[in-house]
Amino acid sequence: MPYFGSEEMVKELKRALSNPNVQADRLRYKNYITKVIRYMTQGLDVSALFMDMVKASATVDIVQKKLVYLYMCTYASDKPDLALLAINTLRKDCADPNPMVRGLALRNMCNFRMPGMTEYIEQPIVAGLRDKASYVRRVAVLGCAKMHSLQPNTEIDGTIVNELYALLRDPDPVVVVNCLCALEEILKDEGGVVINKPIAHHLLNRMKDLDSWAQSEVLTFLLRYHPRGDDELFDILSLLDAFLQSAHAHVAVATLRLFLHLASAHPAVQADALLRTSAPLLATCGAASRELRFAGLCHVQQVMRSQPGLFGMHYKRFFCGYSEPSYIKFRKMEILVELVNDENVALVLEELRSYCTDVSPELAQAAIAAIGRIARTYSEKCLDILTGLLALKQDHITSAVIQTFRDLVWFCPQSTAAVCQTVEACVDSPQDSEGKQALLWLLGEHGDQISSAPYVMEGYIDGLKTELSSAVKMELLTASVKMFLCRPAETQDMLGRLLHYCIAEEESDVCVRDRALLYYRLLQRGVEETRKVVTGPKSDPSMSVLTGRQEEPIRQWASTFNTLSPLAGRDLCPQTAVVSAADQPSSSAEKELLPESTDVTLSSPDDTEEEISLSLGPPLSHETFEKMWLDLEVLHRQTLGFPRPRTAPDTLQAALQLVKIQTLAFTPGDTVPWKAYIYTRSTGTLILAELLQAPGSDESLVVSVKQQPVNQHAIRVFVSILKSVLQTPNADSS
Amino acid sequence: MIGGLFIYNHKGEVLISRVYRDDIGRNAVDAFRVNVIHARQQVRSPVTNIARTSFFHIKRSNIWLAAVTKQNVNAAMVFEFLYKMCDVMTAYFGKISEENIKNNFVLIYELLDEILDFGYPQNSETGALKTFITQQGIKGQVRTKEEQSQITSQVTGQIGWRREGIKYRRNELFLDVLESVNLLMSPQGQVLSAHVSGRVVMKSYLSGMPECKFGMNDKIVIDKQGKGGTTDDSGKSELGGSGKQSIAIDDCTFHQCVRLSKFDSERSISFIPPDGEYELMRYRTTKDIILPFRVIPLVREVGRTKLEVKVVIKSNFKPSLLAQKIEVRIPTPLNTSGVQVICMKGKAKYKASENAIVWKIKRMAGMKESQISAEIELLPTNDKKKWARPPISMNFEVPFAPSGLKVRYLKVFESKLNYSDHDVIKWVRYIGRSGIYETRC
Repeated sequence: MPYFGSEEMVKELKRALSNPNVQADRLRYKNYITKVIRYMTQGLDVSALFMDMVKASATVDIVQKKLVYLYMCTYASDKPDLALLAINTLRKDCADPNPMVRGLALRNMCNFRMPGMTEYIEQPIVAGLRDKASYVRRVAVLGCAKMHSLQPNTEIDGTIVNELYALLRDPDPVVVVNCLCALEEILKDEGGVVINKPIAHHLLNRMKDLDSWAQSEVLTFLLRYHPRGDDELFDILSLLDAFLQSAHAHVAVATLRLFLHLASAHPAVQADALLRTSAPLLATCGAASRELRFAGLCHVQQVMRSQPGLFGMHYKRFFCGYSEPSYIKFRKMEILVELVNDENVALVLEELRSYCTDVSPELAQAAIAAIGRIARTYSEKCLDILTGLLALKQDHITSAVIQTFRDLVWFCPQSTAAVCQTVEACVDSPQDSEGKQALLWLLGEHGDQISSAPYVMEGYIDGLKTELSSAVKMELLTASVKMFLCRPAETQDMLGRLLHYCIAEEESDVCVRDRALLYYRLLQRGVEETRKVVTGPKSDPSMSVLTGRQEEPIRQWASTFNTLSPLAGRDLCPQTAVVSAADQPSSSAEKELLPESTDVTLSSPDDTEEEISLSLGPPLSHETFEKMWLDLEVLHRQTLGFPRPRTAPDTLQAALQLVKIQTLAFTPGDTVPWKAYIYTRSTGTLILAELLQAPGSDESLVVSVKQQPVNQHAIRVFVSILKSVLQTPNADSS
Repeated sequence: MIGGLFIYNHKGEVLISRVYRDDIGRNAVDAFRVNVIHARQQVRSPVTNIARTSFFHIKRSNIWLAAVTKQNVNAAMVFEFLYKMCDVMTAYFGKISEENIKNNFVLIYELLDEILDFGYPQNSETGALKTFITQQGIKGQVRTKEEQSQITSQVTGQIGWRREGIKYRRNELFLDVLESVNLLMSPQGQVLSAHVSGRVVMKSYLSGMPECKFGMNDKIVIDKQGKGGTTDDSGKSELGGSGKQSIAIDDCTFHQCVRLSKFDSERSISFIPPDGEYELMRYRTTKDIILPFRVIPLVREVGRTKLEVKVVIKSNFKPSLLAQKIEVRIPTPLNTSGVQVICMKGKAKYKASENAIVWKIKRMAGMKESQISAEIELLPTNDKKKWARPPISMNFEVPFAPSGLKVRYLKVFESKLNYSDHDVIKWVRYIGRSGIYETRC
């Protein structure tokens, strides 16, 4: 790039441009102008040539004009006084008989970014709005927006706004869409363009004439319109129906978003729309261009948050191709994990296993983690695969497998025994600090089940001097103390050495030293005291059978659907999710959705004496539920006297939701024992409950209720409602 | 809306930069170069967020095209817009390469000026753009005075994709069925996934405002006709050749011009075509795909320093047809020191830079079989890493549609001008290409 000697270059160009001989030869003249633009693109400052370029704009050659205008738009803000010179030429062009010249001049005049421009462009813009050529009108409409952005704080010109609203009925579709965009920008402070009934219907009728970009824009604007009644709503939906299957992914997705938004009170319509869009979405996931494929996958992920079953049978479409870029592979693996069910688990695992040996260590680790996620449900098969991977003896794989084991043991305690056995048999140890920490955690937490644990740990303590990561050292300290608590005889000596090294000898890291001192002083207080502090709560085995996550309501993600956020991942806009969760209880759609809920509560027999009704409230996360469940005592346990309803999980969930009981999780299918965790709120108390069907002779359901704060009456109401709901599907089926 | 568009070469030098909105500064150009093009690691995502500015990029050969925005935009739309940009540029000057972009850079600025205004897409149909852009670069299009004056009359708002008053001396249309067949096969010969994504591309040179009707062997239509009793015998015997009467289309999408309501109700495809080349429909099938080639790999590890590879390919289509441009790519381990290849047909070469044996065959008839065997010598390494065995991939071109799709008819009606369906000269061509055609070994 010619950054050096640029001054000479500019001087030379200046000389050439002002040379009358060159000016006489049109081709040579144009060549020099092209050269100027080329340097401009490369980042060279050619603003010194402004004067000469302005002169060059007086030409009949349109291409040359365009080039000069491009130049002037770039540098006008640097040389406002010189740019004024060009305005006369431009204004003259605005009256040219050729509409193309008119449009061009108007567009570029509006592009000049300099103060005081407004007074020159206002009149041509207003004239342009009434031009008979649609090309000029398009430019003029956007010119209004540009003019406003030049002076954002001035008062909005009412006449222009009215004119733009009138132009929404223009025969040219692009003018219409430009009007919407321009109004949106001009009226930004007042909440944007107003879409009332006539405008909405007009836009809907014009949809077919628009090109795909315009369709996408209009669909986004229509999100603002609220139909008056169901009749109008369904009219709109049937009008838009064809666009769900548009050739352009972005139109299909935008239509889907509008559908979800409009039909928020009609879950069946929403589900139908999702079903119908699944084909175009899947097609996008298999599109030839990888970026579109990526966008498609991200949207599929969003849809799956509410409808995990929708893509279940298409799991093979999410197998990775060898040459696909890693960002697609990562997404596909995340989707595959969600799609696993009893039928496809073998094939999916087989596929994931083949990714574990991928050349890219990151991808391999992600694949191993994915298998770990599936292991929470199908532990046996996955453990076999993971154990097999250890035999490959590759550092990054070993490390990832150990980390997966750590997570698995925490989430799925019944696999502990098998994991411990494998860890014991595993000869080589991970080399990176993440893997080491995971291994040490496993050794410390389950040292009683791994017979060789103290010896492995001793190796780490002996090699402490060469260990660089302080995180590993801290983990080592914790693990040794835990180990000491369960196997004191073998550990005492090395723990002493470890503490001595960390406290007295050359340990430069303050955190490590502090941690060591903490344990040292704790141990001085006695073993029991230490045990109380060090051994925290283990995960509750009763939670282990929980599978699958709760299906989120569609409105949770519909607001960010078809924007940048699904692609950018969770880190970009976490607030949106929080906000939408917080305003849930007050949303009006909720009330419309459940008009009969009051009837249900009234019909329950216990409710006559005092009015107590259940409410949903903000959803609980799995973690909070787990924590509360462990903290609270069982207040009430009752055998309901009938088996669990033999309906599909989502029907049951919907039924419970109808009486405002939220389902957190339940075991899939016909697993025994069958369990479900549910919760609800009632006049200031939070009720948590567990439904359990133990494998026994009568197979009757047992409900255990925990509550905070205690309110016995609310529990009675809750149980009676629960009983009636659970019996309803039973009665239907029989 | 899009704040700016930049085009870079592989070194990160700016070839084109066009800023549409003033919230995008000049430093955005450099930010993308430093953070994405010059980044050490692989590209993490086609969307990059740098300092509250989003960069959407696509790559064509070694050219980077980036769209920049500060708004929370519809990502799929921006990507599709970038592809459309590429299509338009290709229509004007051919392949997108550094050379072509440098030579046509005035033209590209002109295009960018028309396609977007203030960041909003304006006009992206090549046909309509040709009226505005007066460059010599337009392929084979002679401009007339008449067309000039049409700018005003053109946009009636009724049919955006076709000008009025088009006249041709010869009314011709060309129909290309272009398919790419994708396959992932296990070493045991089990099909893990296979799909065909196809396009029907039409070049129409028809006068006036013709009404067209397109028919193919869509299963739903054929079944319906069979039930109705009005079996089209001539159509059926024509199809008999492939042995497959109708195909099940998983999903399909159409050009804007096709009347979707009619497709939904009667499943008939009728439309007024744009002038020149355009894509009529896009479809996918997954059932009953004719896989033109079977690849049977056999890899044997002889000791630690030798590999024996034998690959057999079988062509699986009518013997009278010829496949072309066949290329089989057999990956080799990184520590390969030497390769000996013997093949019965074509030419095979070990390409060290690509870590693969590339076997090329110019032509191959159907129902034939050919094989290659190679001995790969390996350098002994202390790297315990097992070789990941990438799949064997294949490229080819066959003169039929692997999905089994057949064009049954394309009728043209133009009531105002006096030419009929018989006067139109029609050409149909089927090309099946390999997409990602991989066999694991």
